[in-house]
Amino acid sequence: MSLEAVARKDFQDAVRSRWLLGLTAFFVLLVSVVVYLVRPGEGQTLSTSALLGSVFIRDALVTTLIPLIALVVSYNAVVGERESGSLKLLLALPHSRADVVFGKVVGRAGAIAVPVSVGFLLPGLVAAIGPLSLRPGTFIGYILLTLLLSAAFVAIAVGFSSAVASNRLAIGGAVGLYFLFVPLWGAIQFPLRLYLGTGGPDWLPIAGSELLRLLRLINPTGSFKIVSGEFVSGTLFAAGQAGSEAAGQYAMQMEIAAFAMLGAWLLVPPLLGLWRFEGADL
Amino acid sequence: MHDSYGNVCRVTDGLPKSKAETAGSGRYMAAIELEGVTKRYGDVTAVRDLDLTVEEGEVFGFLGPNGAGKSTTINMLLDFVRPTSGTVRVLSRDAQAESVAVRRRTGVLPEGYDVYERLTGRQHVEFAMRSKELDGDADAVLERVGIADAADRRAGGYSKGMRQRLVLGMALVGEPEILILDEPSSGLDPAGAKEMREIVRDEAERGTTVFFSSHVLGQVESVCDRVGIMREGELVAEDSIEGLREAVGGEEQLVVTVDAASEADLEGVRALDGVSSAATDGGTVTVSCESDAKTKVIGALEDAGVTVKDFSTEEASLEDLFLTYAGGDGADAESGDVTGTEVAE
Repeated sequence: MSLEAVARKDFQDAVRSRWLLGLTAFFVLLVSVVVYLVRPGEGQTLSTSALLGSVFIRDALVTTLIPLIALVVSYNAVVGERESGSLKLLLALPHSRADVVFGKVVGRAGAIAVPVSVGFLLPGLVAAIGPLSLRPGTFIGYILLTLLLSAAFVAIAVGFSSAVASNRLAIGGAVGLYFLFVPLWGAIQFPLRLYLGTGGPDWLPIAGSELLRLLRLINPTGSFKIVSGEFVSGTLFAAGQAGSEAAGQYAMQMEIAAFAMLGAWLLVPPLLGLWRFEGADL
Repeated sequence: MHDSYGNVCRVTDGLPKSKAETAGSGRYMAAIELEGVTKRYGDVTAVRDLDLTVEEGEVFGFLGPNGAGKSTTINMLLDFVRPTSGTVRVLSRDAQAESVAVRRRTGVLPEGYDVYERLTGRQHVEFAMRSKELDGDADAVLERVGIADAADRRAGGYSKGMRQRLVLGMALVGEPEILILDEPSSGLDPAGAKEMREIVRDEAERGTTVFFSSHVLGQVESVCDRVGIMREGELVAEDSIEGLREAVGGEEQLVVTVDAASEADLEGVRALDGVSSAATDGGTVTVSCESDAKTKVIGALEDAGVTVKDFSTEEASLEDLFLTYAGGDGADAESGDVTGTEVAE
């Protein structure tokens, strides 16, 4: 299959880049540091959920660093080849431009899976021998969810990379997207909550709390936090464990919406990028 | 530089006919068809109203100086760029709407490409094979283009010539029906350029249509059946090499060394039958004329009181003709009325 050929080639290529090697080492180091920091005292054990739910892992590492890594590895996926001319080699072969865009998403997401998996598994194994009582299922599930988050950011970056004609624009776009989704989104959350939580202005068509919920969902890292939080505490798609039936249904709806949102991020940016790329002269 | 210069070119009759002839009709199928194709980039017209047909099994040399629109035309065949107007068909399919199907049966050596620096030569060829959905021996391909010993080295460390060989190898994967080669000899040393021509010849014998561009006539004249010459986005000539040779056929360049000659001394020479032009820098007189007019030219110069010390003749070359059409300097032959040759200006 054509898409598979492109993805495989792209994985082979990306996985050999020094960037990826460096990122893997960096990630292993960071996770090790975090595991060390949250280690339990003498004679105590730390549960998997406590580890993964900790602010270090969830906020500092995964939702801050994973988007950055994904954007760095993917911003030039298409436009880099376009500028160097290797895209002509790719398109001289019988690949459609759609194969190129989605093959790139798959290939780069696969390449990022290497540092993320190694980064989690290596320190995880070391810690499991020691004081951590890891539940392998939860740990591996969490890694898979993290890969879903990184794939969403890869899709955003590849989409952008397909739409623009120069590497400089692609770098600008990646930096802009990162600031939008990570620091900026985080910074406006608190004031917005104060403002909208009390009902918000009258001209809003929906309630302030609804809008907050929507904003939380739209950001891929927000959706990830919802899904991974529920998963780690063992309540993903298990509404029965919530306090009341209404709360259970609300949680369930949010989980489904969050998954749908991550799925949308996987598909929509590459499709928009493809739409621009299809019309472009190379 | 042009090591093939003066080679005998393949005659048109020698066309391989295996799959070129359609059953019954006895007519050649068109492998490449451009009709009224124009490509504009903003105010710049890269290709203007181009009509061009290349028959199946033909080896077509696409000539012209850099910037004449050759690569733009090739990029339209491959759907890298889209024509502003006109239709492009390759193997009877629409080059834009059915581009993937076209490229499945085409081998391409594009211009301005780059290899994947981190992948080895073998990985490149394997990628081409996987892309064309076929199994094959990547090493045999690398052997054929002469870089088998570098198969496991990263292509980023390859020289320009090796990269060119690698991409030619990728183009040959899967026995394509058409080979589209954009400046295939660039970056190759004379021996490499010769090997390249041999590969083109082998492919042509297999029945492959070959469409290749060059800004050097010497690279194409020994292998092609027909050439087209582009200049400023227009096809200014289209003919067989034989036809082009005939166009310059009888003309010779006569270089006469004299004691002193002025413009006025040349009037008698210019008036002669068979003389198309004459010029002097004072010490030498250069005359383009038919070969049987030579003695009359010498006689006319002596009649004008010029002392002839020495003279030599050179056959007008295809290079001169090419330069005339392509608008380069250094040639002053006229764009003659050549049968079967389209002259735009």
